[in-house]
Amino acid sequence: MNALLVIFDLLLTLTLLGLAVVTLTSREPRRAVILFIAFGLLLALVWARLRAPDLALAEAAIGAGLSGALMLAAARRASGRTTSPADSGDAEDAP
Amino acid sequence: MSAFLLTVALVLMAGIAAGLIRVAIGPTPSDRMMAAQLMGTSGIGVILLLAPVLAVPALIDVALIFSLLAAVAVTAFTRRRLTNDGD
Amino acid sequence: MDPVQLLSGAFVLVGAFFFIAGTVGLIRLPDRFSRLHALTKADNVGLGFVVLGLMPLAPDFFYGVKLALVWLLVVIAGATGAHLIAKRALRGDGEDVV
Repeated sequence: MNALLVIFDLLLTLTLLGLAVVTLTSREPRRAVILFIAFGLLLALVWARLRAPDLALAEAAIGAGLSGALMLAAARRASGRTTSPADSGDAEDAP
Repeated sequence: MSAFLLTVALVLMAGIAAGLIRVAIGPTPSDRMMAAQLMGTSGIGVILLLAPVLAVPALIDVALIFSLLAAVAVTAFTRRRLTNDGD
Repeated sequence: MDPVQLLSGAFVLVGAFFFIAGTVGLIRLPDRFSRLHALTKADNVGLGFVVLGLMPLAPDFFYGVKLALVWLLVVIAGATGAHLIAKRALRGDGEDVV
């Protein structure tokens, strides 16, 4: 039981660390935001594992959900501005 | 029973770690979003299994919030830009 | 080990199997639509069996209701997300096809 908990903690922490590294080193904004949402989900799992359901609630609602949605919108605008020749399909059907 | 539930939670956690591969390499953004959605659902499973193991029944509220915000994230991801906003 | 626990363990195991199958499908399948298909299987059926297996272990009635509510919300979110992603991918519009 205790050994299982240790293995669970190790797996959770290693996944969280790997996710953080991949998030910080990604160059494309949308990819970074989606990875950030996944990071928030895993961080909420960590709080749940540490028997802190209130912190897990706050992290899941604010960290992963709300700021994730807001940053997705921001990343969409940012990428539309920098790579405007690439998404000409979108610009065509705009009025 | 508790050790069994923890083992299943460990298996789901390994699934989350494997889904991370698809999030990292996924060729299109929608592949990444699908993998993130699967990670969220697996996370709900892990939380539901951890609640009896750790004897913290309040964890089910966290699972409720997870399941509510999964829809928000996917909808925000697929929202189409309606206007060209300026430029 | 009474039969209720045995049954609940069996349901949880079936749910974990569907989760593993969905994750393997998400990694191994070649096409975006087949990956979407694998994802929705894991979402709906896998979590459904896990919830069904945890239902007999619920300490009181409202805990069981909340378990069912979690599954219902995940099914709604999974159906909505799958439709939206598939529609965007099928039409190939917007920023989705970067």
